Amino acid sequence: MLWQQLLNGLTLGSTYALIALGYTMVYGIVQLINFAHGEIYMVGAFVGLFLVITWDVNLGIAMVGAMAVCMVLGVLVERIAYRPLRGKSSRLSPLISALGASIFLSTLMALIAGVNTRRYPAVVDLSSYSLGPIQVSSMQVVILLVSAGLMIGLQFLVRRTRIGKAMRACSQDLDAAALMGINVNRVISYTFAIGSALAAAGGVMVGVYYNAVWPYMGTMAGLKAFAAAVLGGIGSIPGAMLGGLTLGIMEIMGVAYISSSFKDAIAFGILILVLILRPQGILGEKKNKKV
Amino acid sequence: MKRKTARNWALVLCLIMLVALVPGCNDTKAPAPAAETIKLGFLGAKTVNNANYGIPGEKGMKMAIEEVNAKGGVLGKKLEGIYEDNKGDSREIANIATKYATVDKVSAMIGDPATGLTKIAADIAQKNQVVIFSAGATGTGVVEIGDFVFRNTLLDKFAAPSVVDWMINTKGWKNIAIITSMNNGYSTALTPVFKTAIEEKGGKIVLEESINDKETDFTAQVTKLKQANPQVLVFTGYYTEAALIMLEAQKQGLDIVMVGGDGLYGEDLKKLGGTAVEEKVIFYAGFSADQPSPETDAFIKAYRAKYNEDPDMFSAQYYDAVMIIAKAMEAANSSDPKVFKTELAKLKDYPGVSGNTTFLPDREPLKSPVFLLTVKGDKFPALLEKVPTSAPQQ
Repeated sequence: MLWQQLLNGLTLGSTYALIALGYTMVYGIVQLINFAHGEIYMVGAFVGLFLVITWDVNLGIAMVGAMAVCMVLGVLVERIAYRPLRGKSSRLSPLISALGASIFLSTLMALIAGVNTRRYPAVVDLSSYSLGPIQVSSMQVVILLVSAGLMIGLQFLVRRTRIGKAMRACSQDLDAAALMGINVNRVISYTFAIGSALAAAGGVMVGVYYNAVWPYMGTMAGLKAFAAAVLGGIGSIPGAMLGGLTLGIMEIMGVAYISSSFKDAIAFGILILVLILRPQGILGEKKNKKV
Repeated sequence: MKRKTARNWALVLCLIMLVALVPGCNDTKAPAPAAETIKLGFLGAKTVNNANYGIPGEKGMKMAIEEVNAKGGVLGKKLEGIYEDNKGDSREIANIATKYATVDKVSAMIGDPATGLTKIAADIAQKNQVVIFSAGATGTGVVEIGDFVFRNTLLDKFAAPSVVDWMINTKGWKNIAIITSMNNGYSTALTPVFKTAIEEKGGKIVLEESINDKETDFTAQVTKLKQANPQVLVFTGYYTEAALIMLEAQKQGLDIVMVGGDGLYGEDLKKLGGTAVEEKVIFYAGFSADQPSPETDAFIKAYRAKYNEDPDMFSAQYYDAVMIIAKAMEAANSSDPKVFKTELAKLKDYPGVSGNTTFLPDREPLKSPVFLLTVKGDKFPALLEKVPTSAPQQ
């Protein structure tokens, strides 16, 4: 049972991690909590569903399609809701604008698709295999592999490419980066695009795995992923991955060994504890404020 | 600015006074029985919220009134239905109930399908001494409002023990797991009903788990369920989560039957659950169009001929409500609510189209049988079995 629950937790945690990456990347560069990020994930799930229903495509194509659409959407949200406010107003205004974008997107989807929970038609074989004491479903394998692959890809992008270098520079100091000739707006657009694509991939896989897609699915998932990002140390990419996995496993273990009534209370309780003991998160860097 | 505020306040005060006046003038006059027709007021939503309960309800009520009138009416007078749309809104229903009681002077109001709205209308009906007969309110604290308040629907407190009896004594499923949805008031109220019944009938609760509505990850609960290995799973929530739990069980290779209340009664159960719920999710309801009694069969045929669709629980219960009221009026030889309500309370073993109904001494309806429904192939809901309602221990 322990191993089965661990696998359940890892699967749930990987999906949190994929969403958490988007939060942490955006925060790392513009210090904005992008509350519309959970809705991007939701739109991703719906785009995948639409592709599968309309053209009967396989899971891979559905995921790539959803990622492409959400890249554009993420950039659009940044252009329309955040960029006009950047630098011109208090830090609070983009935050409010983010909440607005979040409500707009979920309500729009409710209008288009209706509020009922929908399920993916069978795109992958949902059978499961016995592996010693545990049951592994093929979708769990897909989620774990794809998440790991995307995260490795992201690390490569950030560490080894020019745009990755620019991102790291921007996250250290936006103004200095601009002075060094980096097109800051372009870097920010890239960041939103990449984060949104990861969330979309997560949305499609969660939709298939849990058989449930609905317009308000992004709110709670976004909140959990945000918590995961904070837990891991907001602004830190490995932190977001670790935070997501930790949160997923904690939640499942809470249900398994303590009580299912306190599922969220346990997860968020541990989160609070970590933040009291280590305010910068597990992998976050301690920043010394310059006076 | 200041003057404007003062004027607004004056307006508000005027409105409050007006509202306070309206019921005030009418309170003194009890609704006299109308000379020409006996009026019945429909309570239910035809648009906005809960319209999917109100629309079939109205059809059932209209059909019953036509049938009664075709046979010469009640006490030599014709029945007349008044059909306002309360939009599932608590203010609308208060206005409509007041209008029925004081302007139209109806003998009885029939509806509302929802418990909360029924209570609002019942307060008004009781105060104005008009009979109210809800065809759907299953919650608590309805008939307690007063002796003019009746209802005709399968109550969880009678249905759940009957189903538990069927599980334990007919099926031999003694080891039972129970899952509650903690943020769903219907579920948290139904779980204790099931638990008491399981203890009384000698079952054993091997696992108690909880979920929340709108969650999608039930992997941990299902893994625990597999470990506990119960013979049956009782789930007291709604159909969406029921389907998702069963899908997860299928994924983890757990073959189990789920039993629940009419919260599982929704088309989405089949749409979401697919093969995972087929003949594996069983829920109870007070009406089924399958294997009908002779009364129900005649009703279904007439309803199909008139509306070109199948009747549901609400159309059957509204239909029965009219018939039961008409019967009580005949027996009391009066259409005055103060008089015929006594006859109404005596109803025993009435063979309605929505099952047999008896009013207990506290005016709560005991309906039998309980229909166990499930998904069979493309058919939803499909009748699995009829079980008799266990008589409550007084």
